[in-house]
Amino acid sequence: MQKNALYILLADDDEDDRLFFKDAFEEIKIQTNVDFVHDGMQLMDHLHDPENKLPDILFLDLNMPKKTGKECLIEIKKTERLKNIIIAIYSTSSSEEDIEDTFIQGANIYIKKPSDFNTLKKIINEVVTVNWHYHTSGLNRDNFLLRLK
Amino acid sequence: MKLFIKFDINTICSLYLKQNLEQQNINFTTLGFGEIEIADNLDADALETLKNNLSPCGFEIVENQKSVLVQKIKDAIIELVFMDDSNNYKSSVFLAEKLNHSYGYLSNVFSEVTYSSIENFIILQKIERAKQLIIINEMSLTEIAFLLNYSSVAHLSTQFKNTTGITPSAFQRIIKKRRENLK
Amino acid sequence: MKWIPNFNSSNSLRVIFVIAVFILLFLSSIAYKHNQDLNESSKLVMHTYEINIQLERLMSAIKDAETGQRGYIITRNARFLTPYIYSRDKVNTSFIRLKKLTADNPVQQQNLQNLFKLIIQRFVSFENCLKYSDPKTYDKRKLDNHMFGGRILMENIRFKVDEMNDIEKKYLSSRLKIYDAEISLSPLFSISLFLVALCFILLAYRQISRDIERLKVFNKKLLISSGLIAESEAIGKFSTWQWDLDSQKIDYSDNQFRLLGFEPNAFVPEKETFLDFVHPDDKETVSKSMEGILQNKQLPFVYYKIMLPSHEVRYFKTTGKLLTDQQGSKILLGINFDITDEHLLNIELQERNKELEKSNKELASFNHVASHDLQEPLRKIQTFISRVSDADKAVMSQSARDYIAKIEVSAKRMRVLIDDLLLFSRTNTTKKEFIKSNLNELLENAETELTEIIDEKKAVITASKLPKLSVIPYQIEQLFINLIGNSLKYSQPDIAPQITIESEKVLSADYPDLLEQDVKKFHKITFTDNGMGFDPQFKETIFVLFQRLHSKTDYPGTGIGLAICKKIVDNHKGHIIADSTLNKGSVFTVFLPD
Repeated sequence: MQKNALYILLADDDEDDRLFFKDAFEEIKIQTNVDFVHDGMQLMDHLHDPENKLPDILFLDLNMPKKTGKECLIEIKKTERLKNIIIAIYSTSSSEEDIEDTFIQGANIYIKKPSDFNTLKKIINEVVTVNWHYHTSGLNRDNFLLRLK
Repeated sequence: MKLFIKFDINTICSLYLKQNLEQQNINFTTLGFGEIEIADNLDADALETLKNNLSPCGFEIVENQKSVLVQKIKDAIIELVFMDDSNNYKSSVFLAEKLNHSYGYLSNVFSEVTYSSIENFIILQKIERAKQLIIINEMSLTEIAFLLNYSSVAHLSTQFKNTTGITPSAFQRIIKKRRENLK
Repeated sequence: MKWIPNFNSSNSLRVIFVIAVFILLFLSSIAYKHNQDLNESSKLVMHTYEINIQLERLMSAIKDAETGQRGYIITRNARFLTPYIYSRDKVNTSFIRLKKLTADNPVQQQNLQNLFKLIIQRFVSFENCLKYSDPKTYDKRKLDNHMFGGRILMENIRFKVDEMNDIEKKYLSSRLKIYDAEISLSPLFSISLFLVALCFILLAYRQISRDIERLKVFNKKLLISSGLIAESEAIGKFSTWQWDLDSQKIDYSDNQFRLLGFEPNAFVPEKETFLDFVHPDDKETVSKSMEGILQNKQLPFVYYKIMLPSHEVRYFKTTGKLLTDQQGSKILLGINFDITDEHLLNIELQERNKELEKSNKELASFNHVASHDLQEPLRKIQTFISRVSDADKAVMSQSARDYIAKIEVSAKRMRVLIDDLLLFSRTNTTKKEFIKSNLNELLENAETELTEIIDEKKAVITASKLPKLSVIPYQIEQLFINLIGNSLKYSQPDIAPQITIESEKVLSADYPDLLEQDVKKFHKITFTDNGMGFDPQFKETIFVLFQRLHSKTDYPGTGIGLAICKKIVDNHKGHIIADSTLNKGSVFTVFLPD
């Protein structure tokens, strides 16, 4: 498997969600390094800072104060240095239009926040696995689209 | 002006590899399957330099036999899925013959290293190819389903949806709208 | 202007009159000629008789002379010679007259000459008789000779005179004959011409009286219709005006005066004074359009405000068109509508609409936000419950474990409710984009959504070919999911669900109570299942929000699913009905307009 730990970044304003996320990643078999930001502005500052390593996968909540997830998504996809980051939208919304819209804006993965911890573990496991496949099998990142419920 | 470029990963990779190796004055021969044979042995420094030069492009020097085999299996699967008359081959037979091992053995090694099965990987690749074909937009979903050896469009749709979570038509829609956005 | 009837008779009348006049002129010229001829013929008669008289005078003069001569010869009384002397003069006179009278007739002139010769000879004979009867120169023999000769001469003279008379008479009679002929023709000719003229005049008279009748009828109609127009203007609150572009005269209909707040004919309308009535805000627009009229030959609808003398503001709408009549004169016809009532109504409607929209929006967003925001805490509840691991549960008391289980159940139920509510609100709030979609594809998607339950219950779904319709794809998919989901949920235990979906085209006329008649064709899609069915008395209430026929412990459900179906079908201007037989199955029929 991968030698280095996967660097995961979650942008979510909700404390509980961050807690779930952290716990879930701790319990899966894959080696990961998880970081958190609390809102959109913090996220963009973190990403734009050249000192910071770019995440392998960015989990992005849509409902964030200061800057919404969608605004961040658009900005990231416009920035040359950032546009190749794999972005997974992590949201409560299940509206078809919202989902398709985020894909159109360039998101790679859409995850509806589950209401069961085990489901969450399964989901992030799958995300990481699929991502790794993409990484190692020369699959086209632009076509990487995945939707998990 | 909009151009549609089709490229062959293999050519690009071998070119890059070749450039790098020549830069370091390393003589090599290509054995295919991402395998190269270097005439002399490299010392640790040279090897390190080579690794550093190759890693920006995602090249990794695989040092594990099993990993090597898994990589070969993956390459073989990719070749199978992306060739045009893949319908004539049964994947297990194809892999066994190509790699000179029993399918069972290959399957085990694959699962051990990747924590996922060959079947899953095949499905992943097929869906990947389906995505490419959809993007090129010259074939209908029925034709794509047939080319990729699915019994019906519904079957393709189901597998597509199971793998990616969205339907092929939704995927088509999204790609189209992405293109429109870029204009 | 084509509606003025063309009285063609005016031309023919003119022609008739001209002909009649000509005939009359002709007739009078004939009469004149006739007159002249009569004159001529009487002159001629007089002429002949005068010749006759003169000739007789001549004769009598000679006879006088003869008688005188005889008397003298017998009595030798000189008194008898007097007529003889005078006779010579008389003869000369007569002769001179006769010469004049017969000047035009050479034959008569010749005769006259001969007669004169004879007369001369007679007078010579007279002389001789006198001479030889005189006792001085008496000669009986010569006397007798001359007397006899005289008598013969007399006879010749008489003969000649008679001859001349005859000639004149013949001459006269032949001329008279000619005149007679002419005269006899003229009256007939004249009378027939006169009759012809009379006919023409009668014809003309008939035509004129007919035309007058028609004119009267048209006049009457015109009066009636102008009366009606004036009435309809008053009733319909519109008015007309006419602007004769050649004479620059403007005519207002009665109602136009009234609409402007005046009595009919209160003032003389002028182009410039009209602007005085226009509200200051609109004066510029109106004057611009008035300029534009002449260029464009028509007036597109102009909306403006009028201020009545009572300072009340009314809303007007005016349009006009340039008309050219047959004589080429240009008249601009204008129509004004007092749309104040409609305008105010419109404004009111718009206000109410705005209010409704606003309240709708508020409701919708409340709906949406409520459902959406409620999900969050619920999700947390469920997630934290799922965090309570089996290890944790092992050290809890039984009641604590039970409570946690019950919390889980309620949370799940709440989740389902909120999901359904959210779906319900979404069928209303999302923008309604109708796209031509293949319903078969949407059905397939729906079936894929329900794959798990379908496999679990080993359900069989048979569908006939569904049409391509202009629909909101997400919603129709949801409709199918809900209906099929229901059939699966309420299947008979131990019997694999069989769901049949059929489609056919129907006419709205066949379902007059059910379907809107303004759309002709509908697609009828039926979902038939072999589930447990429901009591048909509830077939209308099941579509009501939150109405359920089973308790939530028996069958999970929120009572929103079918309400969502109804909402979706309503969005598409269609209809949905349900029917069922308990323990046999149910049929859900969806009507979608073509």
